[in-house]
Amino acid sequence: MATLLTYPLPKQDSLPRWRQTLLDRLPLHADAADRYRLHFYDSFDWRLFMAGKLLEWREHNGVSELCLHDSGNDVTALTTRLDRPPPRFAADLPAGRLQRQLDKLLGVRALLPLTCVDVRSQCFRLIDEEGKTRVRLFLEQLRLAGSGGHGRILAKRLRLAPLHGYGNDAKRLTQHIEQNLALLPQAQNLLAEALSGTSKTPGDYSSGIDIPLQPEQRADAAMRRILLVLLQTMETNEAGIIDDLDTEFLHDFRVAVRRSRAALGQMKKVFPVRTLQRFRDEFAWLGSMTGPSRDLDVYLLEFSALQALLPADLRGDLEPLRDHLARHRQQEHAVLCRELQGARYRKLKQQWRRYLTSKLPQRPAAADARKPIADVAHHRTWRMYRRVLKEGNAITPESPAEEVHELRKSCKKLRYLMEFFKRLYPAREISALIKILKKLQDNLGEFQDLQVQSQAMKQFSVEMDREGRLSPQTALAMETLSDTLQDHMQRVRSEFANRFEAFGKKANRQRFERLFHPDAGAENRP
Amino acid sequence: MKVIACYNIKGGVGKTATAVNLSCLAAREGHPTLVWDLDPQGAASFYFRVKPKVKGGSGSLFRRKRELDDVIKATDYDHLDLIPADFSYRNLDLTLEQFSKSTKRLRKLIKPLRSDYDYLFLDCAPGISLVSENVLLAADILLVPTIPTTLSLRTLYQLLQFCEDRGYTHLEILPFFSMVDRRKNLHRLMIDDPPKAGRGFLSSTIPYASEVELMGTKRTALESYAHSSRAAEAYRALWEELKPHLAPSQV
Ligand SMILES: Nc1ncnc2c1ncn2[C@@H]1O[C@H](COP(=O)(O)OP(=O)(O)O)[C@@H](O)[C@H]1O
Ligand SMILES: [Mg+2]
Repeated sequence: MATLLTYPLPKQDSLPRWRQTLLDRLPLHADAADRYRLHFYDSFDWRLFMAGKLLEWREHNGVSELCLHDSGNDVTALTTRLDRPPPRFAADLPAGRLQRQLDKLLGVRALLPLTCVDVRSQCFRLIDEEGKTRVRLFLEQLRLAGSGGHGRILAKRLRLAPLHGYGNDAKRLTQHIEQNLALLPQAQNLLAEALSGTSKTPGDYSSGIDIPLQPEQRADAAMRRILLVLLQTMETNEAGIIDDLDTEFLHDFRVAVRRSRAALGQMKKVFPVRTLQRFRDEFAWLGSMTGPSRDLDVYLLEFSALQALLPADLRGDLEPLRDHLARHRQQEHAVLCRELQGARYRKLKQQWRRYLTSKLPQRPAAADARKPIADVAHHRTWRMYRRVLKEGNAITPESPAEEVHELRKSCKKLRYLMEFFKRLYPAREISALIKILKKLQDNLGEFQDLQVQSQAMKQFSVEMDREGRLSPQTALAMETLSDTLQDHMQRVRSEFANRFEAFGKKANRQRFERLFHPDAGAENRP
Repeated sequence: MKVIACYNIKGGVGKTATAVNLSCLAAREGHPTLVWDLDPQGAASFYFRVKPKVKGGSGSLFRRKRELDDVIKATDYDHLDLIPADFSYRNLDLTLEQFSKSTKRLRKLIKPLRSDYDYLFLDCAPGISLVSENVLLAADILLVPTIPTTLSLRTLYQLLQFCEDRGYTHLEILPFFSMVDRRKNLHRLMIDDPPKAGRGFLSSTIPYASEVELMGTKRTALESYAHSSRAAEAYRALWEELKPHLAPSQV
């Protein structure tokens, strides 16, 4: 909870000499030299870094601790004692404040080790006449771990640790250090320093899509650029899927596949017909091949929430379903790994990359290929928006579920288009419109999920029965759950009219028009 | 934050030894922990080598003239802080009487600490007074070190009766045997067949041990100088036994 002040020392300085200087010049007592190892962690998508946090496990042969700092200002926010390396998921940490905070920050993402730093540390204390420590000062050398103890020296430093209630003593010692030793405090970015020279950079992966585009850029060039980024996203997530680190790798992979499919589907006049056909088929295969694993992931992630929908006395009876899901997930995951390491996928990637990086044709056959991307984006987005309005307006409380699903798909396409071309529009306005669309999508998505889940319960019970693992109690629990999900679905469905009305209200229509209508002033477009 | 009061109507039963040793164990696990030395004699402050002095005295603290944060002192243990004693605490009853809800003043005062600490240990002075009523209303758990003698048991029953009369049902009262000397017949008899008291005694007991007495000269918790002693082990066992009572959802 204390603020630390760090004074970087020149890397070539000798620490024994500093030790002597400190003892000569300041009224300090030296503890025995100590060492510990700092292990840094974050999720694959840098959720802690993005939240301005730094998580380190301080491995010490006495007391090891997991500490969450606010990065930049060296303030220790939360700590818990932890004698083993942190578990993959925050939920498995010892209960407490740190556990809750990490759980909130990380969600379903796993903690992954980033790098280790060995610290040689000596503590100096300012002690009063009662024998009470009033300030602590650490003289430290930090070295990249590994290389048999000969890793790169990252920093040498003095670190002052004031103690609550003894601020005046800390202030006096600070003055001494700054005046007599001519040192200046400076926050250190230890993690960035330790990661320099590796392939990792804090913040280098995000599941969002944010691609800089030039409005006048050829449409085919811009689309290739987008699709290349999506291909990279797929490749980046492969290892995490195969190593089964957490479920988000597969999720992000599938989103990239879906976005690629949407781009191909929406840009029919930008790409050559034959290319389109070939790759659309391959991406459709990739989508359906990865589907079963993802579905089972979702059921397992949501299992407790589903269970909670049941009356308390039935909840336990659902447990065999969890086993069933886990077992099948194992099998599906193995299939998925085989395919991801197989020839069809490898070939797809090779050919796709070759196409996306090939020379742009001088005289493309596709009609829109050479049009400015801004025009194509504008046109496609507007068309899709019109379609969403039309489909949505046609839906009445009596309309069959299929129509709602069609609308859901159109909304998704609209969303992808808006995200691809975000940079072509004023940032605030496009983000606001995406948010408006998202509210409608949430309702449609929930409706779809509930329907699928309700049906899946029936299918799972058939499977479990076939495998001879379905007791009458479990069957009853699953049937009850299926019915409950149906009820919820009706409720969500009945909320649709209001949601759509909010989405399609005049003020919102005008906002969409201002951005995307063909006659909309070019002033809205950069 | 869980508020754990180390309390007994009797003095010299090991309240302070318990507060000091358990708070150190909590802090060692990384839990931000605070000890409030409410005894004007300031034994806990002495063990932590902190001057038993609160600027402006208890009056300014309880009248909120001075923020609690201003009087908190970090101890030499990581994650462990102390609100030291002050000689003016001997008049705390008089200070408290001035407030309209005089029994709930302490409880109100510690509210802002809830977001900063996982545990607050109250090291209480003996006796039944307005201060102890404040403690009973502020605490979640009442840890009652009890020497296994007939007389000590009588005061324990008095305490239980008192809490029942006042309807302090929120309070979990956990007595345990302290300063146990198994060479003494009475101690042995009582430990082996503990009397029924409230929900019963915790099963951990603290032996009578010279290491504990040494705390007065070492001025630090047992863990620091006698980690492998029987007494240190007994405090660790007591802490482990307490943990289930410190439900994480409410920490
Ligand atoms: N388990 C024990 N064995 C031996 N001496 C103890 C033990 N517990 C406490 N003492 C000693 O007894 C005296 C009173 O203990 P203390 O913890 O201050 O009691 P309280 O706070 O209830 O007045 C102190 O001198 C302390 O060192
Ligand atoms: Mg005492």
